[in-house]
Formats: sequence, structure tokens, C-alpha cells
Amino acid sequence: MDPVTCGSDGAKAVTAVNKRVLSFAAVCAVGTLTLAACGSSGGSGGSPKASGPVTLKLVAADYGDKASNSSTLYWNDLVKSFEAANPTIKVDVQVINWNDIDKQVKTMIQSGNMPDVLQTGGYADKVADNLLYPASDVLSPATQANVIDTFAKAGQVSGTQYGIPFVSSARAFFYNKAIFAQAGITTPPQTWDDVKADATLIKAKVPGVTPYALPLGPEEAQGESMMWELGNGGGVTDASGKYTLNSQANIDTFSWLKTNLVDPGLTYANPATTDRKTAFADFAAGKAAMLNGHPSLIQMSKDGKVDYGVAPIPGKNGALKSTLGVADWMMAFNKNGHKDQIKAFLDFAYSKENTEKFDETYNLMPVTKDTLADMTSSGKHADLAPFFALLPNASFYPLGDTSWDAVSAQIKQSIGTAVSGDPAKVLGDLQKKAQDAVANK
Amino acid sequence: MDRHIQSPKSRKSPKSRDSLKSPRKRLRPRTLVIAGIAWLLAVVFLLPYAEMVITALRPASELRDPSYLPHHFAWSNFVNVWRDSTLGGNLKVTLLVAGGSTLLALLVALPAAYYTARIKFRGRKYFLLLVLVTQMFQPTSLLVGLYREFYQLDMLNSVWTLVLCNAAFNLAFAIWILTAYIGSIPVELEEAAMIDGLGRLGALRRVVLPLAMPGVVTAVIFTFISAWNEFVMGLTLSTVPQSQPLTVGINNFIGNYTVQWNYLFAGSVIAIVPVVVLFAFIERQVVSGLTAGSVK
Amino acid sequence: MSQTSATPKAPGPGRGRPKPRRSGPGRFGPLPWIAPAILLIMVVVLWPVYEMVHTSFLRISTSGFVRGSAGLDKYRKLFGEPDLGHVLISTVIWTVAVVTLTMVLSLALAQLFNQEFPGRRLTRWALIAPWAASVLMTAIGFKWMLNQTAGVLNTAMTDLGLISGPQDWLGDPSTAWPWMMFVAIFVSLPFTTYTLLAGLQTIPGEVYEAARVDGASTWQTYLRITLPLLRPAFLVGVVINLINVFNSFPIIWGMTQGGPSSATATTTVFMYQLKDTDIGESAAMSVVNFALVVVMVLVFLKVSRWSEDEN
Repeated sequence: MDPVTCGSDGAKAVTAVNKRVLSFAAVCAVGTLTLAACGSSGGSGGSPKASGPVTLKLVAADYGDKASNSSTLYWNDLVKSFEAANPTIKVDVQVINWNDIDKQVKTMIQSGNMPDVLQTGGYADKVADNLLYPASDVLSPATQANVIDTFAKAGQVSGTQYGIPFVSSARAFFYNKAIFAQAGITTPPQTWDDVKADATLIKAKVPGVTPYALPLGPEEAQGESMMWELGNGGGVTDASGKYTLNSQANIDTFSWLKTNLVDPGLTYANPATTDRKTAFADFAAGKAAMLNGHPSLIQMSKDGKVDYGVAPIPGKNGALKSTLGVADWMMAFNKNGHKDQIKAFLDFAYSKENTEKFDETYNLMPVTKDTLADMTSSGKHADLAPFFALLPNASFYPLGDTSWDAVSAQIKQSIGTAVSGDPAKVLGDLQKKAQDAVANK
Repeated sequence: MDRHIQSPKSRKSPKSRDSLKSPRKRLRPRTLVIAGIAWLLAVVFLLPYAEMVITALRPASELRDPSYLPHHFAWSNFVNVWRDSTLGGNLKVTLLVAGGSTLLALLVALPAAYYTARIKFRGRKYFLLLVLVTQMFQPTSLLVGLYREFYQLDMLNSVWTLVLCNAAFNLAFAIWILTAYIGSIPVELEEAAMIDGLGRLGALRRVVLPLAMPGVVTAVIFTFISAWNEFVMGLTLSTVPQSQPLTVGINNFIGNYTVQWNYLFAGSVIAIVPVVVLFAFIERQVVSGLTAGSVK
Repeated sequence: MSQTSATPKAPGPGRGRPKPRRSGPGRFGPLPWIAPAILLIMVVVLWPVYEMVHTSFLRISTSGFVRGSAGLDKYRKLFGEPDLGHVLISTVIWTVAVVTLTMVLSLALAQLFNQEFPGRRLTRWALIAPWAASVLMTAIGFKWMLNQTAGVLNTAMTDLGLISGPQDWLGDPSTAWPWMMFVAIFVSLPFTTYTLLAGLQTIPGEVYEAARVDGASTWQTYLRITLPLLRPAFLVGVVINLINVFNSFPIIWGMTQGGPSSATATTTVFMYQLKDTDIGESAAMSVVNFALVVVMVLVFLKVSRWSEDEN
């Protein structure tokens, strides 16, 4: 019954490349108790019949916000055409809400019930335990070469690519043009001092509006804090990849935020408990004048009839040349040994039609060269143009660090208190926890 | 079991009711004050849910307005939330889970409670202690264990799993209430029935069960409400939308970038109404069912 | 309970018609009657409890992968957490405050709803709303009503002149705690009130009549007669509330997620927060949490001399 033992037999059986051998191995294995216990968790599918195909288990995040645009529909469609083309492979699709996917996947891994293919927010912590195939094992050379280089690099752990980027986005500064006009401001801010001056004007002239929305609540604090840190030449790690959460630059950043935005009431009263959802909702309702946004805010602003502008993120001494790039990831688990079936599936999923369909459905940005070229030139995505321009210069979280997920969770939890308490102490505590996480690898 | 104070008979004797009533008829102004306070409190208790209904009727564009009422009432929200989500399927799952676990909990609890109430067997104390300890565990801290277990049994995403879990976590309360209630039923009635030729089971079914009805109703309503509103186990043990209970389905309106508050609350209202209606129907019996529990 | 003597053993070999008292439950001992209950508890509750305790001695990566045994390391790490101290204190204050206020308010409510007045049924019906609704939804509803931008409670309090403008109540622990306690009391009142209401109905009218004849005032009657006779129902309410409030997760999670940092967390919420960073440590917190609730309930039962009622 111990699930850990059932994978290994399968893995041995499937190292052979030939598809016939594969399905033969599957047939042999069906009868054994081990496979019955390892079989698809759905329960509905049941075990494959004689000459039955290999079943891949795909777990993916839901990018939709209602049943009619749930990612389940996208994946079911894709799987249907994939299965038609590959009759020996079945794919079991499980789409999970973003709020729950991390916890669900953790529980699956802890129980030994690994998916074959997982599409979610981070990958490196799985590399630490040798759970993943390298990208080169599960992507054909053509597909691998098609991935935009900066993203492919962000998928590397110690020089080997494990994370396969799936979609990307970059952050940019959003401002409400109507509120700016009301406050008599003509150009978006370039420096932190500009932000402060504009916010002060807005506070005086446009009551009832949050001048700058600073969401440092647990939802996305690692993103907002990193954008401010970048503005002062700081960041999460130094060039060698060591955590520098309490560097002087970072401490100065949070001290500046505390004295210049939080204390004078130019942002939310309690940034540490304000989530990004709140900030986005306020901006899209015309109740916040400025914030660091994300392409999804474009449609939200349009729906709320907000006349918005997009500009580079202000830095301490001038607008940022780079921005925070974010990617969501695809990864292949090695436990069930379905390397070749996974390769067939991923090559199919990364075809131009499929990635473009996904990106267009959710207004996300591509990670593959052909799709990026298509979307940039087609003229259908003028809204995203400023973001396309930012992509090549994006900075990333230390995604390839296997301790990043633990550190990121700590940052989300408590970095917001740096703008209400003592920044040096809060960041010092975080740095200590980060070092503990590194030591505990 | 303190039966010296009174027996169920004296509790329900018409005489005591009259003696309580008669002096009150003279206190008319006092009754008005009491009624006023009670009505005010009733409004306070309903306000949060009224606000949920109001929010459920707000068009998306008015969600950030601090007004008391929306300018337009978007009745279509209820239609949309139903059509545009899996809530129909979720409602079915919730009905099955709540109904199934209530039935199971009752089937398991009734004999145990009957035996415990009637017989001082060896280990009775330990059994009651086990039941009390069960009451102290909450599923939130046992999620990983539950997931592992039902994964190994290949029972994830199954209504039966949720039925089992909800029944088990509500079993303690059901046993406890039923033990107390059956304990308050005079044993002589049963013995008479057994002398008349009914066995233990017959007596349990024909004599004890009808008399214990208020206790049974109370156990039923507790299990049902708690299973109806259960969230964390549903979230962990059912991972595909169509096998998730309503509470989890509603949660899906909390999206990655936005919370659709109007849909979220529309879904909640849909979830609350059946329980309130059910409760309203049997409110009286709940009070008399709890009465026995509190005599303990 | 003394009428039926204990008959744990099967009756003698006599195959004839057994005497009624010895038939049925006595024949096979308690097992046929209580075994299904024990089985269900073992499968669904005790097995995961074993898993929980086991997990607290494991090293588990953030991805959920089991890396081996951790011995007592996770407990050491847990007790070394700088936040644990204030979380424990918060938990005690939270439990004591919510349970005490719930009991006091419920006594008053039960007294009120025990009177005869026009519309008693409808008002009692309103009282059950927080019970019938999911606690999580009620908590989220309050969070929504307290929203700084659009919360109706902010609007109402501003219009009534209680505050100068909308506030971020849940963002600051000093205001978040009272609001969460309010919600916790709000959702605990229906059950507690109903329990006490049931208790009030067990008090026979003759007792009051006797008190009136003796010339006792209403208040004296309440203190000397009602309260002591209400004690069993009161104890039931306290024990159930102690367990529920101590373990309460949805209210805090729905309203503040324990934040900022863990400033509004109780041990249960803290356990959930630790899940993101260290699953083993989180399991250790669960074990400690359970030990605390057991100790708390046992101490209460001892202090309230519950067992005296049993005999």
C-alpha cells in the first residue's frame, strides 16, 4: 500500500523508449496490486482495460474567474485533440483554483500521489527533492529552443533547466488619468519624490481616493516589496544568489515608504494587511490613483470605465529600466516514469496555436518566441505593447533557488510589518529565517 | 444523570405551564418592552445576512460604492451565478453529503447511545471519554492525514468519503445528545414492552425511538447543519469542481486578481436559505431535544 | 441509571427464553452496539491523528516531500518561534473573553426569549440565522461590511457620528481583535442561547411559585433558583464553546488570516500559517494545540466538578 514503492517499478518498466514496449508494460502492470493502488486518483476513470493506454495526470491552475472561462475548458479541449492524435495516451485533467493549488499539490506530494505534469506558480522546491525531469528530457529540441531565453534561464537550477515557463507577465506602473488631471498633475511620476509629491497633491485635491495603493498583505507582498527594492538598487539576493533581505538598500527602501507614504496617510492605513485584490479593485473603481499593476488590470480598468495610463515603475532616482517579470511554470514529475508520454503531451501543448489561444483567453503574455512574434505583430494586443517592451529586461525572483518558496512564504507573511514597525528588525528577522531555510535544504 | 430534580413528565405537565402564564397576563407594559427588545435583537441578528443579499444584488460596477443600497438592483446576478458556475452540481453534492452523513451518524449513534444510556458496561467510561476526545479534534489539523488515508483507499473525489468524514466528526455530539435523551426516558416503559414479547430491538424501535424523537431531531439538525456548512474537508478531499460541496464551490468566486463579492454572496444566500427554512420548521423540537442534553 | 444493572458478560448456557433484562444488549456485550461508532471514529479520526503525530517527527520539504526523520527538531523549532509566546497569550485571551461574554449574553438572551410576547417564534427564528449560515461566510460577510472603501458598517458608523471617517478596522490588531471577538460571539450565541433556553424549560413552575410565596424578589429568585438549576445546561454550553472557540479557525482566517504577520493568530491559525513554511512544524503545532485543548477541558471539568453531576 505504500505509494512510494509503486512508482519505482513503473519507472523501471518505462525507461524503454518504444511506445509499444510502454503499452505492453502498462498492460502487464495493470494486474498487479501496486498499480491499482497507484492508479489515477480520479476514481472515475478506473484502471485501463487490456491494451489500455498510459494515463497522464495533469494538474493545472485555474486562470479563469468563472465556470464559463475556467481553464478546465481549455485543458479539456486540448486533451481531446491530443488524445485523438495519440490514442495510447490518456490525460486526466485536474484544474485547481489558484488559492488552493499550492496546498493541494503539497498534500499530493506528501501522500506520494504525484501528478505527471503540473502547471503552477513555482518549481524549484520540487527540484530539491529530485522529483522533476530536466526540461531536455520532456521537451523536443525544437520546443525547447522556442522558449524565450530569459525565461528558459529563469527555469534553471544550478545550470540545468527544470522549470518550463508557461505564461508570463510583467509589472508596470498604472495611474488614473482623470484623478491626475483633477489634481493638476500632467505627467506620471518618475522618482519616489515625484510619487510622494503627486500623492500629496491628490490627497489634498481629490478626497476619498487612496493616492498610492500599497498592497503589502500576504497575497502578493513579495512582488510589491521587490518592485520597491529594485527602485533603490536592492533586491532579494545579491549577484552571487545569497539572500540579502536586510541589506542597507532594502532597509532604506522600507524606511522611505514608512516615513513618506504610510505615516503621512498617502496610502492605506495598514499596508501589511491590504491584499493586491483590494488594491486592484480600488483602482478599477476609480478609488485609487496609482499602483504597480499587472496586465490583468487593463481589462478590469476598462470594465470600471477608468481612464488609465501605464508608465515604467518609478525608482528612487528615476524610472526603472527593468521591471519585475513573473512567469508561471510547467513541470514534469519523474515518479511515474511517463517521460515519453509527457514529452508528446508537452510538445503538443506548446504548439503555437495552443499557447496563443491560452494567452489570448486570459490576456497573458507568451513565453515562446513564435507566439510572442505573432502577438506583437498582429496588432490585436495594443494594450499589452508596453508590457511586451518590458519583457526582455525583466528581473525575476530567485526562482531557481530551491529555498525560494519557503522564503517567499515568509516574506508574504511578515514583510508588510516593516512599514509599520522597525524596518531593520523586521527585515533582519526575515533574513534570519531565510538563512534557516537555506541551511535546512 | 440527575433524575432527582424532575422527570420529563413534570417538565411537560400542563400545571407548571399555567402557573408560569397566569402572572404574566397582568404585566402588559413589561411584555411590550420585552417584545421591543427581542424584535430589535432579531433585526440585529439578521442584518449581516440582509447585507449579503444587498451585496448579491449589486451590479459589479457598484461594488466599491459605500452607499447603503445599490442604484440598480442586478437581479440577474442570481441567474448568472447559477448559470455561470458549477453551483448546481455543488448543491447536489452538498445535499447528498449532508443527508448521507446525517443518516449514517444517526444509524451509528443511536444503538451506541441507547446501550450507553441503559447499561453500565465495563469500559463505558472509556467509551464516553473517546467520544468527548473526538469532539475536541477538528478536521483543520487532520487534513494531511485525511488526504493520505483516502488517497490510499482510492476514495478521493467521492461523495462517500465526505459522508464518512462528516458523520464521524459529528458523531460525538449525536451520541452525547441521544445518550442524555434516552437516559431521561423511564426504563419501565421499555421493560413493559419487553414483557409483552418485544425483544430489545423491538422495544428500542417501538417504544424508545418514538419517545426519543426530539433528541433524534436535535442530533439530526446538528449533523445536518454542520455537514452542510463544512468547508475544509470538502476542499481537501474533493479536488475536481463537480465533486465539491457548495461551500467550496462558492469559494471559487475568490479569484486570483479579484473577488466577485456579488457572486460570492449570491452563492452564499443560495446556500443559507434551505437550512434556515429547515430549521424554522423544527425549531420547537430542537429546544425540547436540547432540554434533555442539558439535564445531564 | 441504577435501574439496570451492568451485564457485560453473555448469559449462561441456558438456551431457553432469556429474561428480558438479560437479553439483547447483554448477550454479546457492548460490542454490537458501540462497535460501529468506535470503528467510524477510528477510521476517520484516529488514523489521521496518528498521521498528524507521525508527521510532527518528520522532515518535510516545502514541496511536501518527506525527507526523513526529524526527531524532536520540529518541536524545538516551534518552541523557538519568537511569535509563539504572543500567539499563546492571544489564544487564552480570545478563548476566555469569547466564552465568558457568550455565556453572559446568552443567559440574558435565554431569559428574554423564554418570556411570552407577540412574535416570539419569529424572533427566535431570526436568532438561528448565524447558526444556520456557514461560519466562514458570516466571517467573510463581516469582513466585507468592515471594508474601508465600501463597507456598510463604516458608512453607518460615519453617518451616526461614531467615527470621523471610514477606518481599516481589520488591518490593525488592536481593532481587529475586538471585531473578531464580536463575530465569534455572534455565531456562538444561537447554540448557547438555545441550550440555556432548553435548560430554563426544565425548571418546574412549582419552584417559582414557592419562591413567590416566600416573598423573594425577581432578582433573588433568579440568583437563588434559576441560576443553580440552570447549572447543568450552563456547563454544557461552556464545554462546547470552550472547544469550539479554542479551535475556531474560519472566523480569524476569513477576516485577517492571522495578520499582520501573526499578530491576530490563535494557535490553530498559527498552525495553518506554518503549513506554508514547514509542514512538520505545523504538525507539531497541531499536536501542542490538541494537548492544550485536552488540558483546558479537563481542568474545566475538574474545577466545575462535572463528575459530581454524573453520580
